[in-house]
Order: sequence, then C-alpha cells, then structure tokens
Amino acid sequence: MGSYMVKRIGIAVPLLIMISFLTFVLINLSPLDPAVVVLQAQDIPEVTEELIAQTNEKLGFNQPFMIRYLHWAASCLQLDFGVSYVTGESVWLTIAPAFLNTLKLTLVSSVFIIVMSILLGVACAMREGKMMDKSVRGIAFFLTAIPSYWLASIMIWYFSVHLDLLPTSGMDSYRSYILPVIVLTISYAGIYFRTVRSSMLNQINEDYVLYGRASGLSEKKITMHILRNSLQVAISIFAMAIPIILGSTVVIENVFAWPGLGRLSVKAILSRDFPIIQAYVLIVAVAFVFFNTISDIINAAMNPKLRKDL
Amino acid sequence: MKKVNVFAWIGLFIFTIVVLAGCSSEKDEAANGEARAELSYASSKDINDMNPHLYAGSMPAQGMLYESLVENTQEGIKPLLAESWEIAEDGKSYTFHLREDVVFHDGEPFNAEAVKLNIEAVQHNAEKHAWIKLSTKIVSVNVKDEFTVELQLSEPYYPTLVELSMTRPYVFLSPKDFVNGETKDGVNGYNGTGPYKLAEHQTDEYAIFEANDSYWGGSPQIKKITSKVLPAGETTFLALQKGEINFVFTDDRGADSIDVEAMEQLVESNDYQLVRSEAMNTKMIVANSSRIDNPVSETAVREAIWYSIDRDTISKDIFNGTEAAANRLFSANVNYADVDLKVRDYDSETAKEVLEKAGWLLENGAAVRTKAGNKLALNLYYDTNSASQKIQAEFIQSSVKAIGMQMDIIGEESSSIANRRATGDYDLLFNQTWGLAYDPQSTIAAFTSESAYYHTTRGITQADELYKKIDEVMVSTDEETRKSIYADIMTIVHDEAVFIPITNGRVTVVAPKGLNDISFKQTQYELPFERMSFE
Amino acid sequence: MNIWLSLSKDKLAVMSLLIIVATLAAGIFAPQFAPHDPTEVNMQLKYAASSWTYLLGNDHLGRCILSRLIYGIRPSVLWVLVALAISVCIGAVIGFIAGYFRGKIDAFMMRICDVMLSFPGYVMTLAVVGILGAGLEHILIAFVVMKWAWFARVIRTAVMQYSDMDYVKFAKASGSSHLTVIVRHIVPVTFADIAVISSGSICSMILQISGLSFLGLGIQAPNAEWGMMLNEARGVMFSRPELMLAPGLAIIIVVSAFNFLSDALQAAINPQLKTAQRKLQASEVRVSSYESIRG
Repeated sequence: MGSYMVKRIGIAVPLLIMISFLTFVLINLSPLDPAVVVLQAQDIPEVTEELIAQTNEKLGFNQPFMIRYLHWAASCLQLDFGVSYVTGESVWLTIAPAFLNTLKLTLVSSVFIIVMSILLGVACAMREGKMMDKSVRGIAFFLTAIPSYWLASIMIWYFSVHLDLLPTSGMDSYRSYILPVIVLTISYAGIYFRTVRSSMLNQINEDYVLYGRASGLSEKKITMHILRNSLQVAISIFAMAIPIILGSTVVIENVFAWPGLGRLSVKAILSRDFPIIQAYVLIVAVAFVFFNTISDIINAAMNPKLRKDL
Repeated sequence: MKKVNVFAWIGLFIFTIVVLAGCSSEKDEAANGEARAELSYASSKDINDMNPHLYAGSMPAQGMLYESLVENTQEGIKPLLAESWEIAEDGKSYTFHLREDVVFHDGEPFNAEAVKLNIEAVQHNAEKHAWIKLSTKIVSVNVKDEFTVELQLSEPYYPTLVELSMTRPYVFLSPKDFVNGETKDGVNGYNGTGPYKLAEHQTDEYAIFEANDSYWGGSPQIKKITSKVLPAGETTFLALQKGEINFVFTDDRGADSIDVEAMEQLVESNDYQLVRSEAMNTKMIVANSSRIDNPVSETAVREAIWYSIDRDTISKDIFNGTEAAANRLFSANVNYADVDLKVRDYDSETAKEVLEKAGWLLENGAAVRTKAGNKLALNLYYDTNSASQKIQAEFIQSSVKAIGMQMDIIGEESSSIANRRATGDYDLLFNQTWGLAYDPQSTIAAFTSESAYYHTTRGITQADELYKKIDEVMVSTDEETRKSIYADIMTIVHDEAVFIPITNGRVTVVAPKGLNDISFKQTQYELPFERMSFE
Repeated sequence: MNIWLSLSKDKLAVMSLLIIVATLAAGIFAPQFAPHDPTEVNMQLKYAASSWTYLLGNDHLGRCILSRLIYGIRPSVLWVLVALAISVCIGAVIGFIAGYFRGKIDAFMMRICDVMLSFPGYVMTLAVVGILGAGLEHILIAFVVMKWAWFARVIRTAVMQYSDMDYVKFAKASGSSHLTVIVRHIVPVTFADIAVISSGSICSMILQISGLSFLGLGIQAPNAEWGMMLNEARGVMFSRPELMLAPGLAIIIVVSAFNFLSDALQAAINPQLKTAQRKLQASEVRVSSYESIRG
C-alpha cells in the first residue's frame, strides 16, 4: 500500500508541474501588455514608454519565458499570486475565502448527491429492467437535462417567493444552503446514480455471487455482500464527484449570489482581472488533482487489485 | 432490501429538508419586526477600498463616511465642515473657518492640522488626481490657528469650491489612519467625520454602516445601513420582494440594478415607493475619436450614429417614459449650456447620406458599408450590471445595422469599462455626464484628463484649440468671457459628435413605504441617508 | 449493424433520434423554417403575446421568439457538434500516433492527456473565455482543447490492441501496408466508444454553452442562443414567466433526447464487449463519459 501511495503521488507531482506551466502559458496568451496593465491598475493616468520599460525591468517582464515561469511558480508556492488589477488587493486574500465558500457548498452537495445516488442506484440495480428501474432512469435522464439555472430560478420563485420559506440568495445561514444543494443534487444525482447502478449490476453478475448462490448462501447474506462492495463504489464516486462539482458550481453560484469561486471568476472575466483568473484556474486544477489522487488512494486501499494497475 | 425501505429513506430525506426549511422560517419572521429602523440596499459591486483619497471605492458608501469642507446644493455652495470662508482679492488664497465640534469616528479631533495633513496626502499622489484641476493649482495648505486653515493656489481658479465639495478626493480621514503620514499606499482604517461609520465589511458579501452617534449634525435616524452585494436583475428584485433587502438606488455608474417594469411591479405590491430625482445628467455614448485605424475616428461616422438613434423610442419603450430623450451633451438648463447647437434629430435617411458623402458605400448585396476595403464595423461596450444599457445597446445595434453599419456589443464590468476609457481601448462606450454639481465645468475639465475623456476628444481636428480653451475658461474670472468660451467648447464637441447623447438620466430610489424624507444631493454619486427616517 | 438493429427496437431511442434529426434539420435550414428575421427589432411589438404572425410572441425588443428559437439551434446544437467532430479528429490523430509509435511519444502524449483531463470542464472554458474574451467561438475552442484527450485515449487503446493482432502482423509480413489494416479494423471498433462518449459529451456541452451564454460569457448579441434567451427572459421572469418556457423546454427536450440516445447506444454496444480487456476499457469509457456529462 505504501509503495502504491508513493507511486500515485509520484504521478501527481509532474502533473501539477505541467498544469502550472499550462496555466502560465494560457495567461501569457492574453493580448494585453502586462506592464501596461500593472500601471493602469495603479491608476497612473499617463502611461509612457519609459514607464513601461521601467516596469518591465522592475517586475522582470522582459526576462526569458522560462525564468519568468520559475519566478511565478516559486511565488505561487508561497501563495503569492500577485494583486488584483481591479481592487489592488492580494489575489490570495481575495480568492481564499471564496474557495472556502465554494468548498462548503461542494461538500454539502456531495453528501446529498451520494446519498441520493446510492439509494436510487441500489434500488434500481435490485430491480433491473423492472418498471421502477426504467422509470427512475427515465426521470433521471430528464432531470439531468434541465439547465441548472432554469431549475434554480423556478425553485427560488416557488420556495423563496411563493411559499416564502427560504432566502433567495446569499450565504447567511444554513438555510441558504438548501436551495443550491437541492439544485446541485438534482443535476448530479442523476449522473452518479447511473454509475452506482451499473457498478452494482457488475457486482451482481460477478462470479462470487454466482458461487455464493450455488453453494447455498442465503439471499440476505449475498445482498449484504453486494452492499459492502458497493460502499466502496460510493466512496470512490464521492471522491471523484467533489472536484467535478467544485469546478462546475459557476452557474449556480451566480444565480444564488453565492460568494464563492464561481462568482469571483465570472466577475474577474468580465472585468479582465487576469491575476484572479489565473489563480482561479490554478487553484481549481490543483484541487482537482488533489481529490483525484486521494480518491485513487482510497480506492486502492479498499481494492488491492487496483494497486497493480499503476 | 425491500421496496418500502428505499422509498422510506428518500421520503425521510425530503422530509428532513422540508422540516429544516419550515422550522427556521418562523425565526425569520420574528426578525423582520425589528428591522424597521434599518436599510439594506443591494449593490452589484462590493464597496471596495474605502480609502477616500483613491478611486476604487463605492461613492455612495464613501459619501456616508466622509465629508468635505463645503457642500454643493441647489442654492450654491454651502458650509459643511467649514462654517465660513473668505476668498482673497487676487483669487489665489482661500481661508476656511472650520466647525469646532467635529470629531473623527475614532475620537480624534477634526482641526486645521487634520485638514492640512489630508490635503497634503492627496497632493502627494498628484498623478492620480490629475483629472481634478484643483490638484494642479494648490501650492500650500497653511494652519492659521486650531480651526482656521488657508489654501494657497498658484492662480485663480473659479471652480475651487465646487471641486472641494466633491465626494472625493478632498475629504477627511483621521490622520491616525494614515500609513507613514500618507494615504496613497493604503490606510489603517476608515474613520471619517460623516454620519455613518463602517462597522463591518465582508468582501463581496456585505458591508454594515452604523449611525455615528457623535455626529456633529445629530445622530441620523436610520441606525444601520447594510450594503449587500447581489447580482443585478432578478436576484435583486427577488430579494426586494422578500424583504431581504429593502432599498435600491441608481449606482455611481448610472446603472439601475432592476429595470423599470420590476420597479413598477414593486410599487404595485404596496410595500415600496419609487422616488426619482430631477434630471441629473446626460446618458450618452462616448466615441473614441483618437482611434485612427477605426471608422469611429471619422466625424461623419459619429454623426451617422447620432442620426440613426431613435431616442424617443428608447425613452418611451425602454425607459417607459421615465427618462427624457436628450439631444445635446448638456441640456440647455445647465449653467452656460444655453448655446445654439445644430439639431440632429432621428433620421436614418440623413444618416445614410452622411455616410455616402464620406465615402462609405454599400457594395451591391453587402450588408455592411465599406471604404477603401475597410468595413464599417465598431464595438460598443456596455455595463453588464445595467439592464437598460444592454437593451439600449441591442436596440442601437439594430438601428445602425439599418444604415449599413456593423456594431458588436460587448458587456463588461464597470471597472473594465472605466479602464478602457482611461486607456483608449474602445470604439464606443456608454457613459454619463457627471451630474448637476459637476456639469459643465468638471465634465469639461475631464475632456483633458487621460482617465476620463482625453481619448474621446484627442482625435478631433480642433483638439489643441479645445484644450487651450478649457484651460482658459477655468482660470477666467470674467463671467461673460467664460460664457463665450464655454459656448465655443460645447460647439466644438457637438459638431464633432464625440458625445452622442441618448437620454437625461435621473437617480431612482426604490424604498420601503414608510420611509420619509428621501431627497437627493446635487450629485448622482451620493444619497443623503442621514436625512431619511421611518414614520 | 447490430447496433442499429437493437437501437431500432428501443422506441425511446427511435423517438430521441427523430427529435435530434428534426432539430438538426431545423437548424441547418433555419432560414427556410423561421417565419421572420431573428434579429429584426420592432419596439411596437415589445413583449407582444403570441399571434398568428408571431406564434410564440415577441421578446423585449419585439423580435420573433420562434425564429430566434430556430436560429438558436445553430450555436446551441450545431456548433457543438462541429466542435465535437474536430475534437474527435484531433483525438484520433494523436491517439493513433501514440498507440502506433508507443514509447516516448506515447508517454509524452498521454501525459499531456492527463493534464487536459485534470482541468474540470468549466474551469478550462472559463480560462479560455477569460483570456480571449466572451464569445461562442472561444467556448468552442475550449471544448476542442478539453475533449480531444478523451478520444485520444480511447483510440490509442484500440490501436494498441489491434496492432498486436496476428493478422496485422501477417499483413505486415505479406507486404501489404499494415497501417491500412489497422485503420480498417480500428475505425469500426472505436466508432462505438466514440459514439458513446460523444453522445454523453454533447449533453454537457449544450448545457455548458447555454450556461455560459446565460452568464453573458457566451454568444454575443444580436445572435440568438437558447441560454441567452433564458437570460433575457429571466429579467422579466415574474411579469412574463412564459418567456422562460420555450427556450428552457427546447434545451430540456434536446438534451434529454441525447441522453436517452446515449443510454440506448451503450446498451446496444455493451453486449459486444466480451473480453476482459474490452470490459476494462469500457468501464474507463463509462466513467469518462459520466464525468463529462456535466463537465
């Protein structure tokens, strides 16, 4: 197990380096001259050629590309992502609380998504091909096809305005979580429930179940066996779902005015605040790799067969 | 695993959610009762840096925290932190007698020394304040005694008091909050002398302002004001409907966070009232005359756009008649603006003629005019947080399409649009004149300021003459001369059609029914919250 | 052809296919189908209710909603398909090179794939839009940048399997180009996997494009797009809720159709996946297509 972890992390590290490189390249594709942007951010009314040259010198913008990348990567490791072009505040101080808010929403939603997926997935797998299986799957397809912002608008209208039960937006108390979590659950449970269902079906058709039946084990025991195995599936989906949801709360956050990463990034895009965009891309990608690695390790811990695959 | 179990689980799950939602809503109602003496307004942007000597912060919020020496009112300049003042014969020296009962929010006394420190801190950051011409005229600030301070200018400058009355930068922050005696690199706190103090600020979520109980003008009736960051449009509308916020007003960029219909719907619901100021400014499209490689640098193209816009339809169908059509940069009732200018009414045939004459021709079958191989294509930038700007942009886009012009419309945050204006990285963008107190002198002074309309005006043929006249008018001491120079200036920019007017904007307030004494200042950038009260 | 046979037995799949084909046709021949010019502004008709001339009524600028809906198929569905086709082509070329040459080239390309796969869909799209600015074409670029990696992986695996097969070796020995042999064998096998991934991805891409347009980062006015129409309708959601209906339902119906079709395709293809090797690959594909459903 230990060697697996080392190997798995060994894969993650070069991945992180390449991600950071790609992020850096992406931002360097921007059509704006970084020196001019920095000067404007300081509200310097007249940007002269001299000033640009000075700034280039001072901030090292005229150094070779790789050197700049290394400098940038080194400061990122110290959580120094520069300052926002718009507010002049530290990017890290702006993005960290937003990241936490998004993470909270993601974790809470994930729990609900997993619970729903497993309940439905197991139930459908047990009755494969029956009415219930078919109808639940049909409904799930339909629900995943609903644009989340559309659903969100309707939910806000019904629960918040019409019934006056819940807040319409913001992140004031636990009640603010209810609507966004429901919308995310509806959007994603339909997807992960299919994963649970098919892995359950695979389990049911596994050899050990057949042997179990042949050797006269009671159905109850076999079911327990299957359930235990599917718990593993659940955990791995959970770990897999977190980073994906983390990266896709953008629209929901904007509808519910959730003060998270998604809103921050859309605002940054509309105000061309490149340091924020860059940090956003990097941080979410790193979180993505982090959770993926963890999920692989958890999977391997539960299923020794997987350890050989590396 | 029986069938019942699964559904029981799902049922329990849903039940839990409903119960959680249900039981907590009672608590909410209880809280509503106490909220009567509070206002909570929606803003699409965070209040940002409240440093009054920089430009990032929200102006209405800064207006609550800080005050200037004098105030610009309908009846002219009135005392505020200065009780009285004298202007020397030569017009170069201003002596202010300060109120003696003013303290900053942190208890520090407001006196001549504080005034000197503040004004000097502003002067030390001269580059950023170039737009406000007073900053280039101040030579020294002298403390005469504890409550008397003298401002020494390099030459007489007639808008001095007007510029001192502005929301920023000549307002006062407790010297204790200065960092190394300066404010240009950030400050330690936001203690002004204004009627409200900043109590709490959660970036991108909310900011809470509390009444300043030791305010020299008496503690304001509204004890607590919350500025809540909410996306414009229906999120704000819903929050108003539910009472999560109870106040919205036209923001400092001239954007209303909800549209006219939504406002009317709120008023119909009987919980809200709608209060509009008189016409405050002119909303317009600003054309970048200095973009040489773009058609917008041609007067004919700008004129054609002017002719092609049906302002009456915009006023009637987009603003539901709440804003009147504007046909000139400054309406005739603005000081010095009663000038004879060429009338350019909506007429797409004239627009086409103007373009034909300038050599922009429609090749057979083409939808867009060309000239020497160049397409008649322009970009128009609008503020994404303004519902009406987007609709106007779409409307104008289709209007100019009819005369063979291609217009791409691009929505961005207001900070990005301000940035484009400052760097000249635009063809056309939405803007507004600076409002009653500032028109025409400050708006015209801004023609020469890089961060404002320098790029707009630089490309016109008479640019140098224009700038010379602007310099002249600001230091002229004779009313008649001033009048004639202003007339020249307005004629030049009108003929060049660099400011394409659309409507006369107002400040609109949606407030709870029982709120009284909603009034307006002479500026669209501030609201006098301290005068409001509940029944 | 087994696939078609089993698909044709599934009524839901047939219906989905019909809906999709009809939608595509309406999009391609939009000028013929649409009763009006979708960008024609007429303020007199602002928010007019439906009438015989304007079947679905008019929007905030008096434009014909039905025509906008029909023209909206182009960015919402057709361009997504184009982006998908480009990603398949790029993925095929890279996957083929990696699987055929193996060794360092393979390792290098698969690492790049890993990097691409470690950006969640929305993040990559936002990154591209953030740098290049809002616009449909930028989102499509982001899609291509994201999606090719999925296809490259699948095609690589298939190439590897088949280039080891005896008859390929035989073909090589007998002097005929084994490249043609591989291509001939790989195309039909990978087609199934590509179809499954594609149909799954389409759903996520349609939802993403509409979501981004909804946020104002997608297509720019005056072009019609379903997400943007919803955004415009959202402003008047309470006074005129009917405006939310048409574009919302259009998205739901089309995405559902792709969902059902994708599921039916998987079901039709699955029985063919017998060997252990193929099973492993299939599960990989399945996970990936699920992951990409919402991006």
